[in-house]
Amino acid sequence: MIVDVLSWVFGVGSVLCAWRVFRADSMVRAAYWLLAAFVFVGLLLVLLTAQFLGLVLILMMAGEMTIMAVFMVMFMMNPAGLNPMTMVHQHRTSIAAGVVAFLGLAAVGLLGSFPERAVAAGARVTRETGMELLGDSMVVFETAAVALLATMIGTVALASRRGRAGDAYEGSVPPSMDPEEAK
Amino acid sequence: MRSAAAVLATMAAMALGVYVAAALDAMAGAAVGGRRSVGRSLTFPMRRGLALLLRPRARTERPDAEAWALAPAALAGLAAVGLATIPLAPGLAVADVSAGIVLFGAAMALVMVAVFLQGWGPNSLHPLIAGYRFAGQALSYEMPLALVLIGAALPAESLSVGAIVESQAHLWNALRQPLGMPLFLVAVAGLAFWGPLALPEGEDLAGGTSAEVSGAARLTWKAARLMVLVAGAAMTAAVFLGGWQGPWIPGWAWTILKTLAVLVLLVWARHRFVRVPVERFVWVSWVVLIPLALVDVFLAGAQALWAAP
Repeated sequence: MIVDVLSWVFGVGSVLCAWRVFRADSMVRAAYWLLAAFVFVGLLLVLLTAQFLGLVLILMMAGEMTIMAVFMVMFMMNPAGLNPMTMVHQHRTSIAAGVVAFLGLAAVGLLGSFPERAVAAGARVTRETGMELLGDSMVVFETAAVALLATMIGTVALASRRGRAGDAYEGSVPPSMDPEEAK
Repeated sequence: MRSAAAVLATMAAMALGVYVAAALDAMAGAAVGGRRSVGRSLTFPMRRGLALLLRPRARTERPDAEAWALAPAALAGLAAVGLATIPLAPGLAVADVSAGIVLFGAAMALVMVAVFLQGWGPNSLHPLIAGYRFAGQALSYEMPLALVLIGAALPAESLSVGAIVESQAHLWNALRQPLGMPLFLVAVAGLAFWGPLALPEGEDLAGGTSAEVSGAARLTWKAARLMVLVAGAAMTAAVFLGGWQGPWIPGWAWTILKTLAVLVLLVWARHRFVRVPVERFVWVSWVVLIPLALVDVFLAGAQALWAAP
């Protein structure tokens, strides 16, 4: 009973937060509404007795959304991202994509058949997750992990001030203080 | 009945912990300043708290009001979630869940969001820089924090904090994994932006995340930060110092004594060491602390394999 109520609360909360992402007028607010939506999804996973996966989802998203917000603010022409701005664009394409995605997911929800196996009370779900990750599916996950690690190291090497292309400031000229010359 | 007792005990421990941490800090400050007045230090948190409550609230131009109001409450709530995973005595925990240290880690990862929002909220220069600064700081201490917790979970073969305490019946993790506790203490200082790692509150940023708050909001923010410190100290006591295990006095008393000892150590560190520049901390963290944390995990794994039948 309480699980049913909670699953509705988390589900509706997740959808509402995801909707607010597109109504927010700042990068940081949009990123953190998305984080709130993911937190609700993580809590839904906890209700499905996948405690480890749900909590790890929340743990990862906290860092990721902050990094995303910082990057989005960096890449905006709006300095510091502080001024309110419209967060939506390409209206027709996005409406079409939204409708198609909704119909697809609704079709899966209505027409798909879901297993009805309740998890036993004493099931060691975290242990089974670990066995799956480092057992049968190990090659898949380790390949993804190594690829991600290589990407991270590559990004740091490219972005570093002392990267493989030499000192980032070498040969750079400070901007002129004379407005005529700066043109 | 048992869970109601656990909730009450944890709430009392949190409130007392925050007061004691503030009083210890005042005492250490008085000692450093050459004034030795224990009585005034003991009442300092109360006097300071009342003074803050009576002050008017600061306002800024066009703040992100919701985010600004949410940040201190979120920080306090996350600290409470963190403390809830730690048993005071066998079975006396609000939520000694099977994935306890993952829950603790998730709550502590969201601390980054709370501090960032506190910096973002007032729409003001120095807090904003402090928020960005804390994002860099948090990404640097999160990895050692998570890795040494995983290392401590290995001998217990469980992610539950209670099971980790029980696994230290014969040998504390502080001795079994000598790298773990120092790394975790650095991470706790970073988490509570405390002492040498109080970077988002730095004087060079005119107070940073606290620069624009006054009155009750400032009191909440300071208390919430001490709550994070207390949760971190309690986790150190549970995961590295054997938690409730000890002779003669009851288990809960051991948990509180050990947490208090860790708090004294952290307060001492605050008055002993200067604040480090953020670049240096990030560099040290990624070049020294994270590799050391990896060594800690590998050694713990090797020990676990050695011990396995």
